[in-house]
Amino acid sequence: MTINRREFIKANAIAAAAAVAGVSVPAIASNLITSSDITKLKWDKAPCRFCGTGCSVNVGVMDGKVVATHGDIKSPVNKGLNCVKGYFLSKIMYGKDRLTTPLLRMTNGKYDKEGEFAPVSWDQAFDVMAEKAKETLKKDGPTAVGMFGSGQWTVQEGYAAVKLMKAGFRSNNIDPNARHCMASAVGGFMRTFGIDEPMGCYDDLEAADAFVLWGSNMAEMHPILWTRLTDRRLSSPHVKVAVLSTFEHRSFDLADNGMIFTPQTDLAILNYIAHYIISTGRVNKDFVSKHTNFRLGETDIGYGLRPEHPLEQAAKNNGKTAGSSTPIDFEEYAKFVSTYTVEYTSKLSGVPEHKLEALAELYADPKIKVTSFWTMGFNQHTRGVWANNLVYNIHLLTGKISTPGNSPFSLTGQPSACGTAREVGTFSHRLPADMVVANPKHRAIAEKIWDLPEGTIPPKPGYHAVLQNRMLKDGKLNFYWVQCNNNMQAAANINEEAYPGYRNPKNFIVVSDPYPTVTAQAADLILPTAMWVEKEGVYGNAERRTQSWYQMVEAPTGAKSDLWQLVEFSKRFAIEDVWPEELIAKKPEVRGKTLYDVLYKDSSVGKFSLDEVPEDRLNDDARDFGFYIQKGLFEEYATFGRGHAHDLAPYDRYHKERGLRWPVVNGKETKWRFKEGSDPYVKAGSGWDFYGHKDGRARIFALPYEPPAESPDEEYDLWLSTGRVLEHWHSGSMTQRVPELYKAMPDALVYMHPDDAKSRNMRRGDLVKLISRRGEVQTRVETRGRNKPPIGLVYMPWFDASRLVNKVTLDATDPLSKQTDFKKCAIKIVKV
Amino acid sequence: MTDKKDNRPSEYHVASLVAYCILAQVDEVKAAITAVEGAEIHAVSDEGKIVLTVEGTGFKNLDKKIDIIRVHTGIINLSPVYHQVLDEEQEKKLAESDKADALSYQIK
Amino acid sequence: MKNFNLAVIASLLVLAVSPIMYSLNANAADKETVNSVATLRDATPIDVQKEPNRIPKVVNKDIKQGRNYPMQPPVIPHTTRSYEVNKYNNKCMSCHSRHRTEKSQAPMVSVTHYMNRDGNFLAEISPRRYFCNQCHVTQLDAEPLVENTFTDMHSLMKQKTANAKEH
Repeated sequence: MTINRREFIKANAIAAAAAVAGVSVPAIASNLITSSDITKLKWDKAPCRFCGTGCSVNVGVMDGKVVATHGDIKSPVNKGLNCVKGYFLSKIMYGKDRLTTPLLRMTNGKYDKEGEFAPVSWDQAFDVMAEKAKETLKKDGPTAVGMFGSGQWTVQEGYAAVKLMKAGFRSNNIDPNARHCMASAVGGFMRTFGIDEPMGCYDDLEAADAFVLWGSNMAEMHPILWTRLTDRRLSSPHVKVAVLSTFEHRSFDLADNGMIFTPQTDLAILNYIAHYIISTGRVNKDFVSKHTNFRLGETDIGYGLRPEHPLEQAAKNNGKTAGSSTPIDFEEYAKFVSTYTVEYTSKLSGVPEHKLEALAELYADPKIKVTSFWTMGFNQHTRGVWANNLVYNIHLLTGKISTPGNSPFSLTGQPSACGTAREVGTFSHRLPADMVVANPKHRAIAEKIWDLPEGTIPPKPGYHAVLQNRMLKDGKLNFYWVQCNNNMQAAANINEEAYPGYRNPKNFIVVSDPYPTVTAQAADLILPTAMWVEKEGVYGNAERRTQSWYQMVEAPTGAKSDLWQLVEFSKRFAIEDVWPEELIAKKPEVRGKTLYDVLYKDSSVGKFSLDEVPEDRLNDDARDFGFYIQKGLFEEYATFGRGHAHDLAPYDRYHKERGLRWPVVNGKETKWRFKEGSDPYVKAGSGWDFYGHKDGRARIFALPYEPPAESPDEEYDLWLSTGRVLEHWHSGSMTQRVPELYKAMPDALVYMHPDDAKSRNMRRGDLVKLISRRGEVQTRVETRGRNKPPIGLVYMPWFDASRLVNKVTLDATDPLSKQTDFKKCAIKIVKV
Repeated sequence: MTDKKDNRPSEYHVASLVAYCILAQVDEVKAAITAVEGAEIHAVSDEGKIVLTVEGTGFKNLDKKIDIIRVHTGIINLSPVYHQVLDEEQEKKLAESDKADALSYQIK
Repeated sequence: MKNFNLAVIASLLVLAVSPIMYSLNANAADKETVNSVATLRDATPIDVQKEPNRIPKVVNKDIKQGRNYPMQPPVIPHTTRSYEVNKYNNKCMSCHSRHRTEKSQAPMVSVTHYMNRDGNFLAEISPRRYFCNQCHVTQLDAEPLVENTFTDMHSLMKQKTANAKEH
């Protein structure tokens, strides 16, 4: 039967409108097909799988398959829009190479590190895994087991993992890939405010008079926020947009003041702005005297490299005191920043003086409401925490904070970097709700909520992301489980650290992923994983918005969610396998139980029955375990934050809302924190209350410009910056499998200034090698693409599994946040 | 832009819209929509949302019809959701060239 | 393997230009890509690198590509090299705006693009939709590394109708 084209597109039109209205149309295209069974299309909401913006999408399901997606018109975040990636969400689960069976490296039917991957059953896979984990625990103790998780985990998955690692295996060696992404932002928040995550929200986008982008290419990386910013700029002619970056990119298309600065000199520019505000007499003295105090931070703190590296040998304060500071007064601070004159800063940064002054004036003018956005430019920085501190300084000096449009706003890369990595605390030093393992009171709170004996959680922070790779290489970390990320492609200096680490014969590496990624390729055991709407979950976006979704389709047979894997694996461990006798003696009733019993089933996680799972909903995980596990995990997790300025609403409510911004108090979300009237935690009569610190004050830090870990020299004569592109997210593991996205941006090219190419006798399309002190990668030259680097700097994105730019990058980190600087290292480029 | 040009007979336009109505006036609105040539109702929800399509031969033609519906006092808000144009002359030509392309790729 | 890859490539190319033929090619399953490793690296070991292919050309045929579902933004079937879209100019709209399509014969932007954030109609294209390249992308003449088995709703319905008739 031939479908009439007119009827076909009309059916499309009806389906779209019905979805928007949330109305079911009895039979779409009823004149074509009469059986409603055939035309049954079910629509439901889910947060997008990609970035931290947290758009809501409507997902259309027919016959157990996702057949359509579009922007959710009811969502305050995106109001019906998606970016190109979001519009193609329908296809991310349907790459032909979805994994459907565990794969183990074997020779002659037995596990062999040097063997070839062969299919095994889940039982066999868990057998080998449990054996390896127990062997490791017995031989070298909890510090030899570790896990690398993700800001793409659901909140429940992250929470289950923290519990399994920190309480079950008693190892703090759990870190998320958000370490590469958000750790400096966390450090900045904790240091300045004593509490994590932005005080503002996306409503700032419609209220600000000026936007400043600091190392954030929102046009490509947060496109829906960019549509809101563009809307504001083009609808209100008085609005100004300033963009700072080390190379020109798409966000410059809207810039009123575009600035290219020499890498690392953003620190100087930030101090210059503070100096400008002070020297032109525009300090908001009332605000500063009531709500802030001043600190002088420790300097010369090193670069987070291996201790034997000459830079670490030379650094004076790269030990435990690196994050310390001493009180100073306003005059001392003013004197400190007075070094950063416009002349000095302009010379150092390469930004013309008039542009710096125009930028500073946006902050200094009390009539301009200014919102600063930043992402990886600040965070992936060997002084990332400082950069975060310094931008808060200028908002605090002027009192431009926590009110609509006045907002220092750190954006996130992953869909639940905030929700899962930060709020749940899946970091090696953290616990839920901003607590840390090093604090005995915090450990006691966690042990109480988890109903576990005192002393269960080890006090020493575990290995962070970069250290995990180093410890794998050094043979100190031997059982390692990677979930929901692609670190063999994403981590810096994989040539010298990650790859030798994964392939170290002492180590057993497990990688859970829906697809065979580069990381899976380096593993010993690969576990096929269910993704996104194949499971139920919760994500938390960059404006503190918590969003949930139901499972909508079945995963391919054989693939299981990360949550199922974590919890099912815990059944393999008797408490006696993992806890010492003296700990068990403190709580004898756990004797003879499994980790599954103690951590999940018999804890408060297990208290919600299957009756609460709506009957018409899929929920493979809950039905498999026999209780509403997602609700149990969420509710137990939420007890950490309720009453402590991290309040979440009851779980069921999230299924009805397009997300809510925490703290949710008395059923109401919070838009601007720390401001009286909008934040219920602020003391009456205080105006502002930075309650993260005991004195209710935010800190203004005196911190200098310090040079980067590596700069171009005669031999390695170019800066290399890496980053993302619009079309690909999460290392391209999903987006490269969508034909339209692949064809839009198939390969990672090296973007060069035409003169840099010319002086090396290169032309667009030439095959070249990027070489650093650590490794090399081949690609082709692009001189007229969307990114326009200045002379002396090149840009290469890292989404391309076949061109691993992280063989070249340097694993220098911010010594405070342990986050890698992927934005600057020295390379040379030669023709192949 | 002239009307003559705009209404190229080979063009088929379809737009889908959601009308939010005052509950008490749903029936009136429904009648008004049905009265417009090329307009069709596909679903009505209990809260007073109507899913409808409008078909026409050009942008202006479509716009006119939508405007007739929009001004109805029983409608609180009329949101256009989707719009597609089908150029049937062009389609025919494309179908031919598609076949040719498909063939050449298969050979390759 | 080699032969097989070519067949997939060919079918994908057909698919790209001819959505109508989609269902015919959906069965061209690549059995060997199932549960194999490092498909995006063409199974190249991590410490080795395959020579990068040439930069593909932008598909510039001006032939509209089918959409997978109604709300999918159409891909751009022509090159957009040196198109300026910035706060002064929007080159795309010089052909695709509603006043220009008569001359340009280009498809007009959908009416949804005239709605603001609150769903109200504007006289001109909504500023939130101003940067076309956030949703609409060109396609390079590159062969996808992995087939995608997504099936659109109409193919599904068609299949079912056909099945229903058989029984």
